[in-house]
Amino acid sequence: MPSREELKSRVFAAIDARADEIIALSQTILQNPEPGYREVKTAQLVAGKLAEMGLPFRSGLGLTGVRADLRGGSAGPTMALLGELDSLIVNEHPHADPETGAAHACGHHCQIGMLLGAAIGLNQPEVLSHLSGRIALIAVPAEEYIEIEYRDELRRQGKIEFLGGKPELVKLGEFDDVNLAMMIHTTSTTEEGQLCISGTNNGTVAKKIRFIGRGAHAGGSPHLGINALNAASLALSAIHYNRETFKDADTVRVHPIITKGGEAVSAVPADVRMETFVRGRTVEAIMDANAKVDRALRAGAMAVGAQVQIQTIPGYLPLTQNRRMNEIFEPNAVVQVGAANVGSVSHRTGSTDMGDLSQLMPAIHPYVGGAVGLGHGADYVVQDYQLAVIKAAKAMAATTVDLLAEGANLGGQVVAEHRPEMTRPEYLKFLRSLAREETFAAEE
Amino acid sequence: MLSRPELKQRACAVIDQRKADLIGVARQVLHNPEPGFSEVKTARLVAAKFAELGIPYREGLAITGVKGRIAGGGGPGPCLAIIGELDSLIVNEHPNADPETGAAHACGHHCQLGMMLGATMALTQPEILAQLSGELAPFAVPAEEFIEVARRMQLRTDKKLEFMGGKQELIRLGEFDDVDLAMMCHTASDMGDHKFAVGGTSNGHVVKYVQFIGRGAHAGSAPHLGVNALNAASFALQAIHNNREAFRGEDTVRIHGIMTKGGEAVNAVPADVRLEWRVRSATPQAVVKNSAIVDRCFKAGALAVGAAVKITNIPGYLPMKHDTHLQELFRQNAVALLGESRTLVIPGRRNRGGSTDMGDLSHLMPVCHPYAAGAVGSGHSKDYLITDYEAAVVNPAKIMAMVAIDLLADGAVKAKEVMESHRPAMKKAAYLRFQRERASVVEYDGASA
Repeated sequence: MPSREELKSRVFAAIDARADEIIALSQTILQNPEPGYREVKTAQLVAGKLAEMGLPFRSGLGLTGVRADLRGGSAGPTMALLGELDSLIVNEHPHADPETGAAHACGHHCQIGMLLGAAIGLNQPEVLSHLSGRIALIAVPAEEYIEIEYRDELRRQGKIEFLGGKPELVKLGEFDDVNLAMMIHTTSTTEEGQLCISGTNNGTVAKKIRFIGRGAHAGGSPHLGINALNAASLALSAIHYNRETFKDADTVRVHPIITKGGEAVSAVPADVRMETFVRGRTVEAIMDANAKVDRALRAGAMAVGAQVQIQTIPGYLPLTQNRRMNEIFEPNAVVQVGAANVGSVSHRTGSTDMGDLSQLMPAIHPYVGGAVGLGHGADYVVQDYQLAVIKAAKAMAATTVDLLAEGANLGGQVVAEHRPEMTRPEYLKFLRSLAREETFAAEE
Repeated sequence: MLSRPELKQRACAVIDQRKADLIGVARQVLHNPEPGFSEVKTARLVAAKFAELGIPYREGLAITGVKGRIAGGGGPGPCLAIIGELDSLIVNEHPNADPETGAAHACGHHCQLGMMLGATMALTQPEILAQLSGELAPFAVPAEEFIEVARRMQLRTDKKLEFMGGKQELIRLGEFDDVDLAMMCHTASDMGDHKFAVGGTSNGHVVKYVQFIGRGAHAGSAPHLGVNALNAASFALQAIHNNREAFRGEDTVRIHGIMTKGGEAVNAVPADVRLEWRVRSATPQAVVKNSAIVDRCFKAGALAVGAAVKITNIPGYLPMKHDTHLQELFRQNAVALLGESRTLVIPGRRNRGGSTDMGDLSHLMPVCHPYAAGAVGSGHSKDYLITDYEAAVVNPAKIMAMVAIDLLADGAVKAKEVMESHRPAMKKAAYLRFQRERASVVEYDGASA
């Protein structure tokens, strides 16, 4: 029986043999960016690769998700390896789609590369036969929480319930048979090293807001109007007036945009729309800040006698990392980049729907370098594909070997020791309890 | 028996003879400024002058008011009040400010007492008084400037007064029940080459005392435990500005105020913030409407940060309604004294933006409130000074005496005509009801809303 290190060597050799092809796949995705729930070409590309590998797959999961399973030689836990299909929308990005503005300004194209790279490495009889349990290869849609209007419309049409891909897949039961989950995200933060053990992430709720005033000629009869833009402007101020009450430790982030600010400059704005996230480190912090934001929005409306509709949409839950999985990942990272280049980060203030999975099962979400620029910015590009795709694929596959080899001894331990925050029904109930649509009438 | 022109000539001669004394009274008041309901020295001075003139008077009316009353020799008839306002403002930087209290006559009320006494002195000359019918009520009234709201609220709590404007309170006390017509002149600094002006109107208003209640906490170590009442107030002020575009020009809306308490210590989250606020508009209806908008803004401020707010609404003044007949008498006499080119007629709808409790009185009886030149600088500011006492004291004393002669000579036939053609906007009971309805306490808890 081969040792775990011998199994990893076989995995690495297979990945190295097809490294150019794996990197080319990432670069093809880079050139064909598609935002969440629209990743049609990207999903086809994944499906094509899985078919090439002779793996049965299911597609169209959560509209565009694709899943194939690798079976080990004996029974054991199911370990999910995830890659995110979707791009952002960053018009100025050098690789932006000139028509849609879609652009991979967050490195997800590398994730698909590393997912398929790990699959190539693991999908060998002389490896799989020595693993217990299954490896679920899942290309997931819509991690970036954008195009809220579009996704909310999909929701209204009954095509999805949740606006993020992983919550939607959880709801669909695609994670019911999964016991552990892992993915690696690219990073441009050099302090985090080349491979980085990560800590926690903020969770978030999303909000769609509409201030309803009364239109009137802005020159001739402003006294007949109710200025919805003033309501919105005051609401933004009111949010700022609350910032001093957010605890540093809660890393609250509230960052609205105005998506409609009036119809014509000569009319009192009667319909003004905003979107915002309310992020925080814990569910409690999110709920506290969310209540303050709601109050601030109502205060803006009340101030000018406008109406406000507030729609709260479940976002992502805070991310926690399974400590044991990180401990298992770390030596595999050291093998790839050397101990000096393995970093760690305690908390990040962005949000990911990997957070949702982390509430349900042991999960890790480490980072890999190779990118430069500001995440979500026009200058975020991946420069070192060898690191961002190939080494990451190897580290992910090696961690899988550690967890599932030797009768899935370690994997079984991790699953047995883990105390999930929520069960799936509790999780869905909580998410659904966040979803609200309220209208606050103008006070007479 | 003297003709009316002869009576007027005699009156003006008396005032000219005694003008140094009259200006002296005004200057003495200037140097002893006292804000409303505190005009103790000023009232004493007026009382002494009434005594000197042999005019019976009552004092301590609405705390500091002094009201003289003397009958003409021509038999019974209407009572004409000649009003002068006792109170100063508080303008610390004013050159004539009291160094201790900051009180300063930055609105020229000291001249009103000079002119009121001048007119009274002339009219009570035996040969003039003998030919007047009815009665004269020279009346030094307290507290026209609606300031020091917190202090006046305490007076109200102590049952020393109900209304916070002097004439309002005197109306309530019945001190105008026996008055049929009333007049006074106010100084002005914006009259160009004119020496005297009639017409125009003023705003009505409502006064607000506002308290935002938050929750104190260490501002450095535990701001998340606090509720910032200063942020609530600051938001409310912003909210008010965001409503300005919806105010109509013709309503001459003026919304303004001061923060009388903005927190306890810079290292604590402010938990108690207080404002004195004012909402002025051209009509009582607009005052009511805009007052509600401002209340909404204060409530929105509380809601914005989860604080509580308590708004004490205090009835303010009503817009000025000049009696057109009285105004015409003033115009004619001003023209006679100063000439056409020095007499300004302000269009009736021209609103000066300020407010006066003479407006309240104007809803009950024929009233005129013209303006006398002689001041420079912006009213209520440190620059407002009387530079021409002849224009500010002597001229209006003469014009008021002349108008009084027109009204009360010849059996007070003119006064009776004015009264007969006047339709009061309200009776006293309706006035008191209207003002009491303005008084309210609005409490709103933004944390539980």
